[in-house]
Amino acid sequence: MEGLVTQIQGLSGTDSDVLSLQNLLKQADDSLHAESTRLLPFLDQLDPAKHSLGYLYFLEAFTAGPVTNEHASSSVLMIARFISSCVAEQIRLAPDKFISVCKRFKDQVLLLEEPLRGVAPMLTAIRKLQSSSEHLTALHPEFLLLCLLSKCYKTGLSILEEDIFEVDQPRDLFLFCYYGGMISIGHKRFRKALELLHNVVTAPMPTINAIAVEAFKKYILVSLIHNGQFPTNLPKYASSVAQRNLKNLCQPYIELANSYSNGKIADLETYVEANKDKFESDNNLGLVKQAVSSMYKRNIQRLTQTYLTLSLQDIANRVQLNSPKEAEMHVLQMIKDGEIYATINQKDGMVRFLEDPEQYKTCEMIERIDSSIQRLMTVSKKLNVMDELMSCDPLYLAKAGRERQRFDFDDFDNVPQRYNI
Amino acid sequence: MASSSSSGLTFKLHPLVIVNISDHYTRVKSQMNSHPLTSTSTTVNGVEHQQQAPRVYGCVIGIQSGRTVEIFNSFELLYDPSTNSLDRTFLEKKQELYKKVFPHFYILGCPLYVLLNPTINPAQKDLPVTIYESELHIIDGIPQLIFVRSSYTIETVEAERISVDHVAHLKPSDGGSAATQLAAHLTSIHSAIKMLNSRIRVLHHYLVGMQKGDIPCENSLLRQVSSLLRRLPAIESEKFQDDFLMEYNDTLLISYLAMFTNCSSTMNELVDKFNTAYDRHSRRGGRTAFI
Repeated sequence: MEGLVTQIQGLSGTDSDVLSLQNLLKQADDSLHAESTRLLPFLDQLDPAKHSLGYLYFLEAFTAGPVTNEHASSSVLMIARFISSCVAEQIRLAPDKFISVCKRFKDQVLLLEEPLRGVAPMLTAIRKLQSSSEHLTALHPEFLLLCLLSKCYKTGLSILEEDIFEVDQPRDLFLFCYYGGMISIGHKRFRKALELLHNVVTAPMPTINAIAVEAFKKYILVSLIHNGQFPTNLPKYASSVAQRNLKNLCQPYIELANSYSNGKIADLETYVEANKDKFESDNNLGLVKQAVSSMYKRNIQRLTQTYLTLSLQDIANRVQLNSPKEAEMHVLQMIKDGEIYATINQKDGMVRFLEDPEQYKTCEMIERIDSSIQRLMTVSKKLNVMDELMSCDPLYLAKAGRERQRFDFDDFDNVPQRYNI
Repeated sequence: MASSSSSGLTFKLHPLVIVNISDHYTRVKSQMNSHPLTSTSTTVNGVEHQQQAPRVYGCVIGIQSGRTVEIFNSFELLYDPSTNSLDRTFLEKKQELYKKVFPHFYILGCPLYVLLNPTINPAQKDLPVTIYESELHIIDGIPQLIFVRSSYTIETVEAERISVDHVAHLKPSDGGSAATQLAAHLTSIHSAIKMLNSRIRVLHHYLVGMQKGDIPCENSLLRQVSSLLRRLPAIESEKFQDDFLMEYNDTLLISYLAMFTNCSSTMNELVDKFNTAYDRHSRRGGRTAFI
């Protein structure tokens, strides 16, 4: 043990030393695990900032055993300190160990019922583990879970803004997008929530999984709230497994969407009452209620397409609201949120619906469009790269070869039916 | 040769002349290159027939009014290398033809000589055209007619500018599709802007140097620059701003739309390939064409 410690202290200088250190540590791993209870004093001899790799191995072995409540808070402190002071390059050499240490950290924080303590260290851990901001690690969903449990939504939102191109494990993506969707709903960012839940539902999956089912339920509700309608068919890039099975597993929600599209609030409310238990058991009752109240907005928006001016009383009648006062409140809220363009004349209680005032002739608009074009260009480059990779994929070539016509267009030569690679 | 002209004649050169000369030269040169055998046989009598750089001859015609000489047009003359003479009959015929069309023009012959240097020097900004006029000078006590270099200005009419421009930028012979024409148009605009940019940069560099004190101050240049700057902006009004920005936005939106379509189509292909490769039960519409 002492020998190992001195070796760690000696070999943590340069990169090549660290690589040889890693080999030593890998060999010593089993003996470390065997001695897990005795490792605490050795940990004090090591400096997490300079000897990150060695400290990591020791820490991982130490936390592998069962942890009691008293130990939990001290080990939580230790891990938090390690995360904030460790060196990113060294820990990236042993990502699995780092991930398991952080997961145990999360478990202990939850055991202590103080998820807030884990939020900041987990964010630092993610930043150190990621190879780039487009990389999704296994720690992302853990982080979002902590944010959700501690109701710390804003920190979670910051990480959701990043575009992801690389994923380690599919399960990470599912959980990340699902939790991300929930955080966005909590913050009333329905558009972002829709995007994230859409990712879960259309992600490639060989078999149906529970995360996708739950996400689909929320997806239906959020799309009703945000768009006022629900697309009955999933897009063609959703896996065929999802396309066939998801609807059957979420029957009550599909019927809710159907009744929503009929436009009668009374029917919708009776349906919700009847199926209240099902919604509640899925923890979706709050969302369902929001969906019902969004119905009023839909109906008011429909009115803008037919009428130029309308009195508040008329609006209240058509939208089945109780009084013109309520109608005024709804319209005011919608104007503030930018969902319709209108002016309310309070003297005679008339509402005038206006056109979109955007003239598209300001410099700000130019900058907006320009930045969108730039983003689109980067996406396009990435898509081209992926397309090329896909074209060379042997699995694809094998299947595509089978579907080829027997004769070439021009030559009437025999076309190879298989690609033997 | 003596230094710059002191005769007080001002010369105005039309671009058509320059285009004519360069055109003639190019034709002769390319014809020579396609008949290498014939050209070798003409090296006789020690006449230095440079195969690489043939000399072409022509006549310039124009108007002289007072002290101003304006050169409008030119035509080429047949040069016979064996006899080292110009074809006289051809010259007379041509002269007659031109006289019919342009009765005011004279052949500016003796007192004038236009020389075009065909070796293209990309570093030089000016046209490699020089005008020489003949003058009577006393050299070594003997009065002699020698050619003296003189300065000239380029003069052009609007219609001429358009036609010369059209000739100068040879468009593809089949007219090209809309795309190639658009590309050619944009390329020319791009090169024009690039040139403008580089010139402004040179001016800027010069002014900065003057400010720092590296270069002695030259007031006349400063005045010119200041008068140039005072001419900008050419149009300044709110209506112009509005219209300009709206059109700018429109163009940007169109390019955005084009990019979107492009991206969507790549995405579509990618999704199709992915489904073919990895989705176990993807729908197969029978024998599909392999793309």
